[in-house]
Amino acid sequence: MISKEVTVLNLLGLHARPAARIVKVAAQSKARFWIVKEEERINGKSIMGVMMLAAAKGCKVTLEAEGEGAEELVETVADLFANKFYEE
Amino acid sequence: MTTPIEEHPLQSAGNAGSDLQPELIMRGVPASPGIAIGPAYLFTKDRLKVEPRRLTQAQVPGEIERFRAALEETRQDILKTRAMAMKTTGDIVARLFDSHLLILEDVMLVDETIERMQEEKVSADWLVHDIMQRTYRSLKSQKGEYFSQRADDIRDVARRLVFNLQGVKDEYLSDLDKPVVVIAPDLTPSDIIHLDRSHVLGIATNLGGATSHTAILTRSMEVPAVTGLKNVTELVCPGQTMVINGNSGKVVLHPTPEHVEEYRAKRRKFVAFWTRLKELRDLPTQTTDGHRVRLMANIELPAESDAVVTHGGEGIGLFRTEYLFLTRGSLPSEQEQVTEYRRVVEAMHPHGVVIRTFDLGGDKVMPGLNFPKESNPFLGWRAIRVCLDLNDLLRAQLSAILQVSYQRDVRIMIPLVSDLTEVRRTRAILREVMAGLEAQGLPFNPNIPLGIMVEVPSAVVMARELARECDFFSLGTNDLVQYTLAVDRANENVTHLYTPYHPAVLRMIRDTVRAAHEARIPVSICGEMAGDPLATLLLVGLGLDDLSVAPVLLPEIKKIIRSASYETAHRVARQAFRYHTAAEVEAFLVATMKKLFADLPVWFNREG
Repeated sequence: MISKEVTVLNLLGLHARPAARIVKVAAQSKARFWIVKEEERINGKSIMGVMMLAAAKGCKVTLEAEGEGAEELVETVADLFANKFYEE
Repeated sequence: MTTPIEEHPLQSAGNAGSDLQPELIMRGVPASPGIAIGPAYLFTKDRLKVEPRRLTQAQVPGEIERFRAALEETRQDILKTRAMAMKTTGDIVARLFDSHLLILEDVMLVDETIERMQEEKVSADWLVHDIMQRTYRSLKSQKGEYFSQRADDIRDVARRLVFNLQGVKDEYLSDLDKPVVVIAPDLTPSDIIHLDRSHVLGIATNLGGATSHTAILTRSMEVPAVTGLKNVTELVCPGQTMVINGNSGKVVLHPTPEHVEEYRAKRRKFVAFWTRLKELRDLPTQTTDGHRVRLMANIELPAESDAVVTHGGEGIGLFRTEYLFLTRGSLPSEQEQVTEYRRVVEAMHPHGVVIRTFDLGGDKVMPGLNFPKESNPFLGWRAIRVCLDLNDLLRAQLSAILQVSYQRDVRIMIPLVSDLTEVRRTRAILREVMAGLEAQGLPFNPNIPLGIMVEVPSAVVMARELARECDFFSLGTNDLVQYTLAVDRANENVTHLYTPYHPAVLRMIRDTVRAAHEARIPVSICGEMAGDPLATLLLVGLGLDDLSVAPVLLPEIKKIIRSASYETAHRVARQAFRYHTAAEVEAFLVATMKKLFADLPVWFNREG
């Protein structure tokens, strides 16, 4: 299991568009993928799930992946977070 | 949204038509226009009965099979409802059900249910309910309408799926035996699509706002509706006469016979108005002697394009794009703009859409951009000035507009032009953006018209020169009046001086029209003046090619244009120039319009 903590940097947090980006990237990977925020652990390939996290700016979440391409997936998604989902 | 309930004590014992219940007036959100009077019918659905059922290891594969079959059955249901929606209300509503299909395919729903079935050995309906309930609550607790609507979608899908798993048929309002007013805690899009139009007079719900699914759907099905009434389901007496007014948001429970009569009269008037509106919708906007004027609409949100179509607008003369910033508080991406613009352009096709570039600054300050505090914001950094300084912003917007322009009538309009240089710089940027799109092989209209809002006096004075380098003009009279008369209309002390009927403003309009027509470019007007019935003939007589007004005003304005000759309009315009003060011009117009339209139902703003 690969895991990495990331911080939500974009102004609006994980709302619809960033969520869609994450899910789109995750769907291309064969790895199993979760995002964890405090008690909540959701399937990172589900847009419903990611939106549900309601992670606002400043929130810390943990990316977890398992299986083929796990490391790469976590890095790609972490990169999205670090670059504010290329929106700002 | 709701206000406390007003109570009207019973006027006399044994009041005919009502029992001992005192009349109750409630206020909610007017979601869909129209008035309904009829017996209340309480529609509360049974709550889903879902209990966890333990499975043995051997039962798991069968349960997974059952779950997959239910998914497919639900998919078919949604497709069927979508087809029904397409038939009764059209494409825009049908698209609501596309998001239902996406939810049904969501991995969290599908994979998590299957995984948990294997691990926890519990029945599928319970798991689906559990997962969806959690998602629903979480989305509902978030800020913003977007999440709230997704939550409603999830609930609708969950209900269908659980019913299919349990082999239960969902109840719909499709087999009522007499006309009723439906009272419900809330309605799902599927409930509304399935309702029987001939027996549902109107709808009142506890939940929902002006932009909820209920509002969108009931409007397109032309069922009067009031939403957001909080507790109407608890107060209503099923079977008793009630009134809902979808125009005002008022709901009257146990109305007095006098009130019932009053609302009957109101309903007759409204039905007559609505019928006239529909008759007018498909008639051309032309004077009695055949002079055509194009009547277009001003919109702020893509969703308003529905109203433009239903009210018979011939395209959009002003699509304000600031909502893209103001509703989300961040910069919209180019791709997102493409999606939003396309929605409007496709909804209006074959009619055209004039997209105005961002008119930010002044009173529209954007949190994401660094707007300085200005002592004179209306004379400051706003509109095209901001766009030319923040080049990337303008480039992205122009690129998005170009991308929806291919084989469509799309035009670009720049606000607050005060100098020819601004037109030239914008055109230069437009050419660069075109070159970029061409390099990417993306299709667009290379001859896309580029026009300006004429709303600064310097633009009027320089109109002939500007007309040579613009493809069209649009008079923005709100700002033009403000700048010409040096009156801030928001300032209470001087607001009475604000009037588009000032002779100076009329001359500016006349000069702008002349300059445009000399250069053979069209000129329209999109300020509030265009929607004032008092100004209609004057503007037609001055030779404006298009009038662009708020969607609801379209029928009124069309009616006036269709009732007079071009010759009359000309005469009105000529005579208006004889007066030298705003008060005289206005008095002349009021007198003239009253004389000309004495036989028309009076719907002038000035007479309430």
